[in-house]
Amino acid sequence: MRRSPVALLIVVATLSGVLWLGGLALAVQDQFFSAANPPVEQKQPRADETKRHDEEIDIVALGDSLTRGTGDESGKGYVGYMVDELRRQTDKPIRVTNLAVRGLRSDGLLRQLGQPEIQRQVAMADLIVMTIGGNDLFQGGEALRLNMKQLDEAKRRYVANLDRIFAALRRFNSEAVIFALGLYNPFSDLGDAKQTSAVVRDWNFASAEVAARYPNVVAVPTFDLFALHVNDYLYSDHFHPNEEGYKRIGGRVASLITLTEEDER
Amino acid sequence: MSKLVYNEMLKIVRKKRLWVIAAIIAVLVALFTYAQYRETEELRKRLGTTDWRTQLQQQIVDLQNRLQSPSMSEEWRKYLQIRLKQQQYYLEHNINPSAPGAPTFMRTFIENAIDLFLPLLVMVVAADLVSSEASAGTIKLLLVRPVKRWKILLSKYIALLLSVSLIMLMAAVLSYAISGVVFGYGGFRLPLLTGFVPQGEELNTENVHIIPQWKYILIELGLAAFVSVVVGTLTFMLSVLLRSTAAVMGIMLAALISGAILSNMVSSWHSAKYLFMVNLRLTDYMRGTAPPIEGMTLGFSMSVLAVWGLVGLFVAFLVFTRRDIY
Repeated sequence: MRRSPVALLIVVATLSGVLWLGGLALAVQDQFFSAANPPVEQKQPRADETKRHDEEIDIVALGDSLTRGTGDESGKGYVGYMVDELRRQTDKPIRVTNLAVRGLRSDGLLRQLGQPEIQRQVAMADLIVMTIGGNDLFQGGEALRLNMKQLDEAKRRYVANLDRIFAALRRFNSEAVIFALGLYNPFSDLGDAKQTSAVVRDWNFASAEVAARYPNVVAVPTFDLFALHVNDYLYSDHFHPNEEGYKRIGGRVASLITLTEEDER
Repeated sequence: MSKLVYNEMLKIVRKKRLWVIAAIIAVLVALFTYAQYRETEELRKRLGTTDWRTQLQQQIVDLQNRLQSPSMSEEWRKYLQIRLKQQQYYLEHNINPSAPGAPTFMRTFIENAIDLFLPLLVMVVAADLVSSEASAGTIKLLLVRPVKRWKILLSKYIALLLSVSLIMLMAAVLSYAISGVVFGYGGFRLPLLTGFVPQGEELNTENVHIIPQWKYILIELGLAAFVSVVVGTLTFMLSVLLRSTAAVMGIMLAALISGAILSNMVSSWHSAKYLFMVNLRLTDYMRGTAPPIEGMTLGFSMSVLAVWGLVGLFVAFLVFTRRDIY
């Protein structure tokens, strides 16, 4: 055969064909006959990688749908409005890591904090904001169960979990200020408002007590924000805040943060 | 025989199809590269970090939130559940599954091209191999020569296999060369995990093992070449059966596109797994995503494709050697 572009093409095609056949053989060998050895040793992120950057402010948000921002049509949630407010105060870059999961309860958060990557994120944080307990109390948006015995049991578990959550957070990060947002009563316009509000107050008191046991944990109340005209600040599900509600929460948390103080720490 | 193959290859080259295919691949790869670049930029801006662990963790949390949504179909939930477990596994073993680089782009490109784009390109070459000779009447000139009919068809088929090989080579080289301009050319040694076996909502990680990215890509190219050959063979068969190239194209296109659609909705129609077009996504088994129909495995899909291909080849030769040409 004389040398021509076509002959060259045939040679190239044959050679690459051999390569694809090799790939196919590898596929069969790797997928069907590979020794079942998962030899992957677990490497923890090195300490130098978890060092905090001084030039930016790292905010870690933990908790349930409130921190996620469910009900806010813009999707920002109180974390977003809080950061908007903080950006007005500082030129430093602010980095937000929102690790909140809808429907999370205190035991779920505790489990989440067992993951190494979550621990690394917490360790890097300059500021931690969190909401937890709403799903422990309200059972995911259903009306408050008013069976006193069950309620006491739920509260006991919640308080125990909360204690372990704070302990874990302080273990991973001993410096960052933790803002633990309290519960509000989304049912305060209903007939049994008196009873439901009493329970919410009771839970808030208990969690504030737990928070007080740890340094630099600030229990932020939200109960008062939703005490009057509750429906003006609630989303159409009558449970999550709407945009206005989130703006109020975000404004309150932002007002508690003084960034110059953070620098000195 | 080699002269016949040379002759057929010359016909394919003369038609300039291969150049058109190269141009199509180049344009699309450039497009995808830009899209991918914009996406990583967007992600970086949104999360304010290039730390892949933070990004992966954020994806995990996003998945967890989506799983909380009550109005979700069972298959979709299963699919997300498995992806979540896989991402968690990657994170726990400190492996970045999508470290930027041309090899990573190449890998995802092949994964996305295997069921539609690559077969389509193969079709462009295969559809008129025989039918054009029939419709133009040149088939008579070919058959009056003192060469056995099966030899003529075989030379055409070998030319097709060579073209498939060239198309794969073009896809591999072009996707690497073009995306590397933006993402850099390194990353062949990146470790990747394979061997995940989805079982219902669970993910079996017993057989998970690390392979370097170059090996992973080579395997994917091998699987993609296999798929392309099978689709090429079926197109070849139709090209023998039908005189109209447009009809061949139409039927194959319909089959391929219906495969892409069917894969999303056949989970309750179990016998659909014997159709060749829902078995094209062989690379998904490497990644360990849930198959479209429960019970499908790499071995199963490859066998189904092989049977379809062999039957197609048999029919093509049978019809071509027996048919009256007028």
